[in-house]
Amino acid sequence: MNLHFSAEDIAFRAEARDWLHAHVPRERRPHAGPAARAYDLAWQTLQHEAGWAGISWPLEYGGLGLSLTRQLIWHEEYARANAPDHHLCFVALNHAGPTIMANGTEAQKQYHLPRILKGEVIWCQGFSEPNAGSDLASLRTRARVDGDHLIVSGSKIWTSHGHLSDWQELLVRTDASAPKHKGISWLICDMKSPGLTLRPIEIMTSPNQTHFVQCFYDDVRIPLSNVVGDVNDGWNVAMSTLAFERGTAQIRDQIRYAYLVEDMIAKAVERLGNACPLSRDEIGARLADLRADMAAARAMTYMVVSRADAGMRGSEASLMRAMVGETQQRARRLALDILGPYALENPEDDDWVYFYLRSFSITIAAGTAQIQRNIIGERVLGLPR
Amino acid sequence: MNLLPTAEQRDIVDSLRSFLGARAPVSRLRPPAPQTGNSDHRLFRDLGDLGIWGCGLPEAAGGVGLSAAEESLIYRELGRHLLSPAVFALTLGAQLLSQFDETPLSSFIDGSARVGIANARGPVALAARSNGDVHLFDCAEAEWVLICDESAIALFRRDDFVAMQPVRSMDNLVTLHRARLVDARPSFWTPAGERQLHERALLLLGAFAVGIAEATRDMAVEYAKTREQFGRPIGSFQAIKHICADMAIRCEAAACQTAFASLVLAEGHDGVAFHATSSKLVAAAAAVKNASQNIQVHGAIGFTAEADPHLFLKRAHVIEQLWSDSRRCRERLLSLDLPE
Repeated sequence: MNLHFSAEDIAFRAEARDWLHAHVPRERRPHAGPAARAYDLAWQTLQHEAGWAGISWPLEYGGLGLSLTRQLIWHEEYARANAPDHHLCFVALNHAGPTIMANGTEAQKQYHLPRILKGEVIWCQGFSEPNAGSDLASLRTRARVDGDHLIVSGSKIWTSHGHLSDWQELLVRTDASAPKHKGISWLICDMKSPGLTLRPIEIMTSPNQTHFVQCFYDDVRIPLSNVVGDVNDGWNVAMSTLAFERGTAQIRDQIRYAYLVEDMIAKAVERLGNACPLSRDEIGARLADLRADMAAARAMTYMVVSRADAGMRGSEASLMRAMVGETQQRARRLALDILGPYALENPEDDDWVYFYLRSFSITIAAGTAQIQRNIIGERVLGLPR
Repeated sequence: MNLLPTAEQRDIVDSLRSFLGARAPVSRLRPPAPQTGNSDHRLFRDLGDLGIWGCGLPEAAGGVGLSAAEESLIYRELGRHLLSPAVFALTLGAQLLSQFDETPLSSFIDGSARVGIANARGPVALAARSNGDVHLFDCAEAEWVLICDESAIALFRRDDFVAMQPVRSMDNLVTLHRARLVDARPSFWTPAGERQLHERALLLLGAFAVGIAEATRDMAVEYAKTREQFGRPIGSFQAIKHICADMAIRCEAAACQTAFASLVLAEGHDGVAFHATSSKLVAAAAAVKNASQNIQVHGAIGFTAEADPHLFLKRAHVIEQLWSDSRRCRERLLSLDLPE
């Protein structure tokens, strides 16, 4: 056990810190819409031009191929510099890109990977369906072969930023007679395809806030050359890269949230005034617990990285994910209590209320808190299914 | 950076675990266990031979020359096996005594000293002349009593305490006395800040609590795998499975924070007080909550004195109270700067 970083790693940290502090965009990121797309792509392009794009991507695909320790350092400095998150670039950088690297054809790699790294394209995910959420493998959107094309019909839902995307990673059923995990294929879908229509879905944060779309596929033609991996092997293709991001990026959120708690302490002191010292107030006790839990969340992330570095493969990272998500939700809720009556105001230039409402997604997206607990119970503790 | 134990550290844990498995199974505490004095004292010499008490002391002082990192791994095992809270007096007493000449240090390192611990039950002032109301744990047959708070760490002779009055302990495995210090002179004492001994105490208490949280998680999981109702192991029901998952999440948080804090202390980074206080707070909460839920998973048998779950719950409450309860930890944590 140690917390040491090598001299080279320390030098790398200084270099990353200097660049980030000089180049992080200072203007506030728009929460949604084409302005958000332009903002995220510009930031990705800036990182690419300076040679900082794809820190976890292998060198052969234009990334930096950094060790897990260096990735951790990069993300720590990224958060300290208050750099904007990947947001709309997330699916491309952390999911679609790595999936194509692992399973794609040479032509797919040549075409898509550079465009992702350069910040030219946005990808979205077409996995969930109205009747396939936690039980993803029961998906029913169908595709049949017609010459050198697949013809897709059905519907996908909860597609974040679908209306702002160029490409979609799309899971479809190509063999209805096979067992449910066996008849699925992973496709690259052009979001401008004829027959594809989108229905915006407003989310609970604020009026006119379209985060998701529902996608309807009415005989959408997708070339067979857009299948990634083998036809009917899409489940394995999708699962193969779920572990690509091995926890290092989580440290960003944790450092950000630790800073948020500091802001909350300052705000609480301001709101309570001198009449009641924070340490004697219920809010103070909850802030102290949060400070401790945020420290623990960071230590858990270090542990996830330590295990990954040692080549240990297991489901233990779900312990960290569950803890972190719920601690973040608690922080957002406490921020609201600190605001008191002002929590009922939701102005566009104040993030606390917006992110409180937004925080409800944390324990739903990418595996609900309950699915996480099934995974922990069955795969970490060995309890029967 | 690596939070995983080294091969050498795993060896230390393995040998301690096999010793405790053979000599200190939790079954030793079932009725009719001896209920007076510190029955674990008979193990302390052998644990001393394993280098447990002087683990974090330099070899020049008669110790093993390891650090708070190894100590916290050791205390996790002591917690899993519910060793007497007198153990804290040996490790921390040895740290204190190593600063002075002509002390009973060697008897602390070899485990032969008869020790117990004291904890404030009201305002306590530790100094060359100390005053205050305390509880004494496992001091019925002790010669030395260690007490620690944010201001100082002090070793008294038990006879320095007055108005000793036995009270029935909630944790019926330890003896409990009310007692008082009235202008009492500690045999040895030092302000806590200089060598970070209070922080070290919080760290070891946190590590012990991690052991309780892990032991109760393991008991609950084992029971959930074997106990059948409605024709299925109860662990297949999500209502039980998710309780166990929550226990595992708490263990991971507490164990990782304790490991992190032990390295901050061992390597001399900034933020020792912040991280040690956080680890005590997170780990004590995990111990109490896991011990509680272990009783729930066991159902009616968990409510009896014939099964072990209650032993862990009661000891978790003792640990939570010692040398800065959670309320005080929160207060302290709010007063500290966030380290980098």
